[in-house]
Amino acid sequence: MEILDKLVNVALIAATLRTTAPILLVALGGSFTTKAGIFNIGLEGQMLAGAFFAVIGSIWTGSAFAGVACGVAAALAFALAFAVLVVTFRANEVVVGLALNILAGGMTISLMKAIFGTRGSIVGHGIVGLPKVQIPGAQALLGSWAPLISGFTPIVYVAFIAVPLLVLFYNRTRLGLYIRVVGEKPEAAEALGISITRVRYIASLLCGLLAGLAGAHLSLGYITMFTENMSSGRGFMAVAILIFSNGDPLKVLAGCLLFGFADAFSLRLQTFGFPSYLVLTVPYVVALTALFALSYRARPKIIKETLASMQKLLSVDRNSAPVDKNPQ
Amino acid sequence: MAVELTGITKRFGAFIANDGIDLAVRRGEIHAIIGENGAGKTTLMNVLFGLLQPDEGSIRLNGETIMVADPAAAIKAGLGMVHQHFKLVPSLSVADNVFLGMEIRRHGLIDHAAQIARTRELSKRFGLHVDPAERVGLLSVGIEQRIEILKVLVRGARTIILDEPTAVLTPQESRELFQTLRSFVAEGMTVIFISHHLEEVMEVSDTVTVLRNGRKVATRPTAELSKDELVRMMVGREVSFDRRPRAQLHGDAVLEVKNLWSRDDRRLPAVRGASFTVRAGEVVGIAGVAGNGQTELAEVLSGLRPASHGEAWLKGQDLTTLSPAAIREAGLAHVPGDRMVRGVDRNASIAANTLMGRQHRAPWSRGGMLDWKAIAGNAGALIKSFDIRAQGSGDPVKRLSGGNIQKVVLAREFTNGADFLLIDQPTRGVDIGAQEAIHDEIMRQRAAGRAILLISVQLDELAALADRILVMFNGRIMGEVAGDDADEDRIGMMMAGVSPELEPAR
Repeated sequence: MEILDKLVNVALIAATLRTTAPILLVALGGSFTTKAGIFNIGLEGQMLAGAFFAVIGSIWTGSAFAGVACGVAAALAFALAFAVLVVTFRANEVVVGLALNILAGGMTISLMKAIFGTRGSIVGHGIVGLPKVQIPGAQALLGSWAPLISGFTPIVYVAFIAVPLLVLFYNRTRLGLYIRVVGEKPEAAEALGISITRVRYIASLLCGLLAGLAGAHLSLGYITMFTENMSSGRGFMAVAILIFSNGDPLKVLAGCLLFGFADAFSLRLQTFGFPSYLVLTVPYVVALTALFALSYRARPKIIKETLASMQKLLSVDRNSAPVDKNPQ
Repeated sequence: MAVELTGITKRFGAFIANDGIDLAVRRGEIHAIIGENGAGKTTLMNVLFGLLQPDEGSIRLNGETIMVADPAAAIKAGLGMVHQHFKLVPSLSVADNVFLGMEIRRHGLIDHAAQIARTRELSKRFGLHVDPAERVGLLSVGIEQRIEILKVLVRGARTIILDEPTAVLTPQESRELFQTLRSFVAEGMTVIFISHHLEEVMEVSDTVTVLRNGRKVATRPTAELSKDELVRMMVGREVSFDRRPRAQLHGDAVLEVKNLWSRDDRRLPAVRGASFTVRAGEVVGIAGVAGNGQTELAEVLSGLRPASHGEAWLKGQDLTTLSPAAIREAGLAHVPGDRMVRGVDRNASIAANTLMGRQHRAPWSRGGMLDWKAIAGNAGALIKSFDIRAQGSGDPVKRLSGGNIQKVVLAREFTNGADFLLIDQPTRGVDIGAQEAIHDEIMRQRAAGRAILLISVQLDELAALADRILVMFNGRIMGEVAGDDADEDRIGMMMAGVSPELEPAR
């Protein structure tokens, strides 16, 4: 019981919210492209570029918010490149996304070397981190539960407020509706004179905006430093969550909270002396298992077909010629 | 006049789809445009709606000459078109779909309540029963069509064009649609409606315009026309609906099906103990209401679905143990029920489609390389002998009309040298002229000594062609009727599941 208390407490929940924020932001960004019918695997790169240039901007200007703006601008540039190649030139989404991810990884490393002459990470150099927002009256109102709503950096609040805003956006605004239509039934959009190209550009740039914020949160909010490849797969995790949630903001939130919780929990476990490499896999394993379980009902066809064909391979047909009797 | 088209000519390359067509549609009438597939009906309507630009001719709407540059201009001029293929978004509600592109907004946000109320009001007024708040993805095709009509109405159309609206409807839904069309006319609106169904045209229209081979044959008040006259104008010759004459042939059994069982996609028994024989030079018909196991039976015989029990012997080989390719080698030619899914590759050329399945054989293939010259030459010959209306053998199949696509399938399957022909719904969605040509071809194959299993939901087709008719109900063969004394009542009883006294269910 004592151990459980130590493991699960207010601090853990607060840590969950903190670890959820970046992946939530980048996944919500990806929700725009997912809804618009673009499979955007380039989230990781946009996030990484955002994180790097947020640090650079923060050092140059001495202001955390100007740093965030720089990070967002960098992510937008990546998103624009993605849109030009994928939407205008009809290049393959996966190839372009992967290429931009690799570009972001390599570019941040070489720029780091060129500017700071170091490899690995940027610490110090006058990086200004984001301030923590203390909500007045939180302590009086909630007592020991106050850390749940107070004391986060601004981007954490942005991430969570963005969820209901996106629900409203998709259901009640014209642009949100058009993004859904373009993704779900492009020929319907075309017939009504909605420009598919324009809607997809807008969706890509909105995605870049949130991915940039997510990156800036990593390097200026979460911790105040930049390290090589610091997005560490969160963009890909977001892609997985997007596939399973179909980009619905509430489902995205649920998936991200699960991942964030597992992430925070694994950090907890580390303090108990479990081997860290094993512990670090926990969030990914938990999130993937849960998403798979959740999606079994939603996407039964592929999975059931796989199971059925495995069953068929294992079973002995009465004519022992199962290959010839493919029901498809 | 609501619509006046003068001298409309539209060419696609060397092919003239519309050749100097004049059309005058009076305000407040239901004007049917009828013709065979490929007669130019849809092309003409696409010109009117701004989807195609005519090479010659002019368009007048309500007495004013206008340029219809695109559909937006047509909509602005009070035209609305309900296409054959619907463009609805499944995850959105009915009302959202109706108002898509012209949303009602309040304070910048979409006002769902107002959209639902307005949709409900329109649907009540014209008898287009829908639940405006329901998601479109959950609805049937018939209701989807109502939504497309509502879309047109909400955009203020006064003249509504419907392209083959009844092709996707049940008879009941068709009757409801006709009532709706009459209510439009009662409100002073004009309806133009494309069809190749004689009965419908006779039932619902005030005026008929007949097109044939891209030209107008005549425009006449429906009341002055008989069905026979209409058919003559459509095809330019007499069509016999009667039983085809035949010589009795008594060949050997080619296909022997013994106690065959199979399951459908839901794993429920769909074919239950079917047993029958098809002899050389004989057409055996399978009658039944769609969905009583005919599709599954055809799939088992062609190797596309496993049999759960029983045998089907084709010239000494049990089909239930063979792959589709091996069954074809054993002597099956298959005209599938859904030609667009299993009959053709719609993006491939006619030549490639006539080749499929024998691409590895001489003379099409030499030393592992395809001889396209030989293939195209053969395709050209098939186009001629099967009277396929196309520009050339390099044409992608999707550019042909339904009847001509079916002829491509027949041309490939009937020239395969197979002894057993499995023909599933050969004239579904095919116009009368092509229908007759297809029936002629089937009879030629019978005379050539082929064993033919003909599955059809159209009784008149079976009565015209089959030597014997087996009736399927709920996966069982209820009984057999000789083609010569095919009696609609008796077959109808069996189709409804009543066993005949003389022919006990097997």
